[in-house]
Amino acid sequence: MITLELNATVLKLDLPSVEAKIKRFIKDYIEKSGAKGVVLGVSGGVDSCTTAALAALSLGGDKVLGLMLPEEETINKTDIHHAGLVAKKFGFNLETIDISPTLRACVNSLPVYDKNDKLSKGNLKARIRMVYLYYYANRLKRIVCGSSDKSETMMGYFTKWGDAAADISPLMDLYKTQVRQLAIHIGLPPEIAKKPSSPALWPGHLAEEELGVKYETLDLILYGLEHFMTTEEIAHQLSVSTQLVEDIKRRWQTMEHKRRLPLTTKLGYRTVGADFRLPYTTQ
Amino acid sequence: MLEEVNIALSQISCRIGDKKYNLNKMKEQIKQARENGANLVIFPELALTGYTLRDLVYESAEPIPGPSTNLLTEVAKKENIHIVLGMVEQSEKASGVLYNTSVLLSPKGFVGKYQKMYLPTHSVFEEKRYFRPGYNLPVFETAVGKLGLIICYDVFFPETVRLLRLKGAQLIICISASPAVRRKFFETLTVARAIENTVFLAYVNLVGIENGLQFWGGSRLIAPNGSIISQAKYDDDDLVMGKISYADLKRTETFVPTLRDLRPELFASLKEQLENL
Repeated sequence: MITLELNATVLKLDLPSVEAKIKRFIKDYIEKSGAKGVVLGVSGGVDSCTTAALAALSLGGDKVLGLMLPEEETINKTDIHHAGLVAKKFGFNLETIDISPTLRACVNSLPVYDKNDKLSKGNLKARIRMVYLYYYANRLKRIVCGSSDKSETMMGYFTKWGDAAADISPLMDLYKTQVRQLAIHIGLPPEIAKKPSSPALWPGHLAEEELGVKYETLDLILYGLEHFMTTEEIAHQLSVSTQLVEDIKRRWQTMEHKRRLPLTTKLGYRTVGADFRLPYTTQ
Repeated sequence: MLEEVNIALSQISCRIGDKKYNLNKMKEQIKQARENGANLVIFPELALTGYTLRDLVYESAEPIPGPSTNLLTEVAKKENIHIVLGMVEQSEKASGVLYNTSVLLSPKGFVGKYQKMYLPTHSVFEEKRYFRPGYNLPVFETAVGKLGLIICYDVFFPETVRLLRLKGAQLIICISASPAVRRKFFETLTVARAIENTVFLAYVNLVGIENGLQFWGGSRLIAPNGSIISQAKYDDDDLVMGKISYADLKRTETFVPTLRDLRPELFASLKEQLENL
């Protein structure tokens, strides 16, 4: 029996084909929805820079608005520089808005605010960014284009109703290491494509440190789970502990609540999110 | 019956649930096909409504013959052309019973229909949730040849085309709504079905993006020796013509005599094994 071999080869993409499909997907959605373009949050990281670049290649830069939404605790000059580089190269508009005053106002109005709870504050930042993005989208009659990748989405490594909130997410079926391949392919500078990922919810926040595994390994573990491999098989092939694979599998499964509409209990004839099943019809 | 037939493969993208729009698009394509000299024009699976209907399937269904096929029959008469298309069929006897159906119309009127037997219900496909499988594989004797109809996933089951061929079909018409990740399967299997049965095969696939699924088009007309007579574009609307000559069947049947060499005793064993899978 031929076993699925978990190595970097399985994550290799037919890059021209993937690029074409993503560009077609974005263009098709915009045309059918009647939106005038897209608004994206651009952090300067590989996911958002790649998404913005693909949107610009697909729609033309004039229909793509990137919003940089830094705040004082985590502002990073390199990221700002990188976002500027990509905007210039791919010809889309980039605006920067400091969200610190909004964050301070929120924090000051929250009776239960606790400065030691950095996760709650970090999630608040992501949700404030979402509010800005949707305000711009409403005002400009555009849609919000998300930049979540498959690794983060499977792991639930995002803020619920925060950074994953979007109308479309063109990269959501690509693992992080695949996004890096695509980034290089479409001409993003290697320093952006290979930059360590950070959700930037607090200073020094690095994804791989928090997740406890390198993306090169995580992506292969997730790929194995996607292909119905057992945790033992995956651990054996990748020479990692079964515990690590089981922890990742558990996390993937328990985070389903972040990927769906809120759960309700069935009371009616047809129920939203359950058996009320409609296609996307945007015309 | 014509010995040589001009076939138009019309791979269109559809608006989900918008029969009026899709019908108008088909009428334009039929006109174009006729101008190109076509005797037969073929549209994709569920071309009347788009493929990813989900619950809209219930409001999109209609009897066959019914309003849409009546309208297209008038077009077939006016343009003097045969038409094959896919649509959701509603049973006349039980309104909740639906079929994924391929319809054949001619300049003389409604000819017949085929109800899809193999309904994919895995991965992104959910056809068994909505459709009842068909039970018949008819062959239709028409002015453009003896035609057998199948739909998409049916092509994964060699017995469908085999049976149609044994019933005398000369041209298999496989209409399809295949998303991009499955292209390799279909490009292999459509050629295989033509070769192993020494039969012409016209494959017409949907294009466009529905619910995030990108249908890849790539419709093709395949000769009984497996060669590609004509091929449509990938990923875009297209209308391509191809000519077939039924005289080629005899030459191929002699060169690769698969029908002569069939072993009937294996079929009983197949049945027995399958029942105990």
